[in-house]
Amino acid sequence: MSTPRPVAIRVTDLKKSYGALTVLDDVSLEVREGEVTAIIGPSGAGKSTLLRSINLLEEPDSGEIEVLGSVVRAADRIGPKSLNELRRKVGMVFQSFNLFPHLTVLRNVTLAQELVLGRDKKQADDRARELLKRVGLEDKADQYPSRCSGGQQQRIAIARALALDPRAMLFDEPTSALDPELANEVLLVMRKLADEGMTMVVVTHEMRFAREVSETVVVMADGRIIEQGKPSQVFTEPTHERTRKFLSVVLDR
Amino acid sequence: MDALTTILNGVPATLGLTLAALALGAALGVPLVVLRRSGNRLVAGFARLFIELLRGIPPIVWLFIIYFGVGTTVKLSSWTAATVGLGLISAAYMAEIYRGGLNAMHAGQWDAAHALGLSRTAIITRVIGPQLVRVSIPASASFAIGLLKDSSVAYTIGIPEITSAAREVSQNSVDAMVPFLLAAGVYVAITIPCAWAARRLDTVLRSRVAR
Repeated sequence: MSTPRPVAIRVTDLKKSYGALTVLDDVSLEVREGEVTAIIGPSGAGKSTLLRSINLLEEPDSGEIEVLGSVVRAADRIGPKSLNELRRKVGMVFQSFNLFPHLTVLRNVTLAQELVLGRDKKQADDRARELLKRVGLEDKADQYPSRCSGGQQQRIAIARALALDPRAMLFDEPTSALDPELANEVLLVMRKLADEGMTMVVVTHEMRFAREVSETVVVMADGRIIEQGKPSQVFTEPTHERTRKFLSVVLDR
Repeated sequence: MDALTTILNGVPATLGLTLAALALGAALGVPLVVLRRSGNRLVAGFARLFIELLRGIPPIVWLFIIYFGVGTTVKLSSWTAATVGLGLISAAYMAEIYRGGLNAMHAGQWDAAHALGLSRTAIITRVIGPQLVRVSIPASASFAIGLLKDSSVAYTIGIPEITSAAREVSQNSVDAMVPFLLAAGVYVAITIPCAWAARRLDTVLRSRVAR
């Protein structure tokens, strides 16, 4: 066994509710550098809320979030400075892609490089083209996103997030809006990213991806983490009855 | 003097007043929609009341309130009164047009912009603003055409625009028909190309960014 890698993301005692509905109930999670963590579980379990809390798109009611040295406590007022410091370290990819429809593919990937990192146009363009090439879409640079398939749009969204040189990537059901063939091209890009050692947290319904690519599988239900471990263990001998039920449903499809 | 020439002399005033009021409305509509969408219910409620008042009172009544009413304590030129009066009404309508556009925008646009670490200003000016302008074009164009026609009420406070010019010709020539038909023709000659241009612009932009 090698020495344990340092913790990249640490979430401690996170709580969040909308009125009477508790979506996160005392959730704690650790993700180590270079680790791929898959979060699975029935819908409404709080998976997306947990993921969105990591870069504070969702503001937890209480708890603490630490991302690569930046610490944010829900109890404190979170200023734009610490917010941006934290967000700069993590990239995020959404279920609905969320590309900017009024900008070309290239501009989608360069905009934040110029505005957030202060790169000049040439640097940003070069980096964008290199990333578009990496996701197999360099010929789409001058198109508008509406001219691209869903799978292409999601790969562009991945390039857009990578352009800021994040040290971790969050994926919120990145393939749920895609049919299997298009989902596959996105999963291939994600596998490549994982192989290159990117720290990744992936909320997913793709059980094969969770099984084959992730090092840790986290199972959530009713706003809690009910089980976590290596995929070989969680998928073959789950300890929790709820996990067993969930897996029997999704794996039987 | 040629009746048509006289009536055409009213075109600059009509266009000038319409554009000034529209510009004022497009600018003031921005803070108004921000207040209208405020999380503070008191602020949002107040903005809503303000918008409903502006939209609920006929333009001519507004002009009289401002020019004759407010004008008794503050010295106002008829141009200032007409621009402010129609500009405020435009602000209310533009705020509602912006609000419709913002409601139609996918929440994911804000998520993506926030996740990329863009500043608030950058999100408004680079991401949301340009899209909002695009989705607001058809409704804004309809409103602008309505405003161009409504600007005719400004003749009542002495702005020498198209309707006022037609009335003058009518009085001098004792012809109640031809001058107003000419005025109608002039209005239509302006509004139809504007409507066509707005539709064309909308189609072009839509074909590029359609989702």
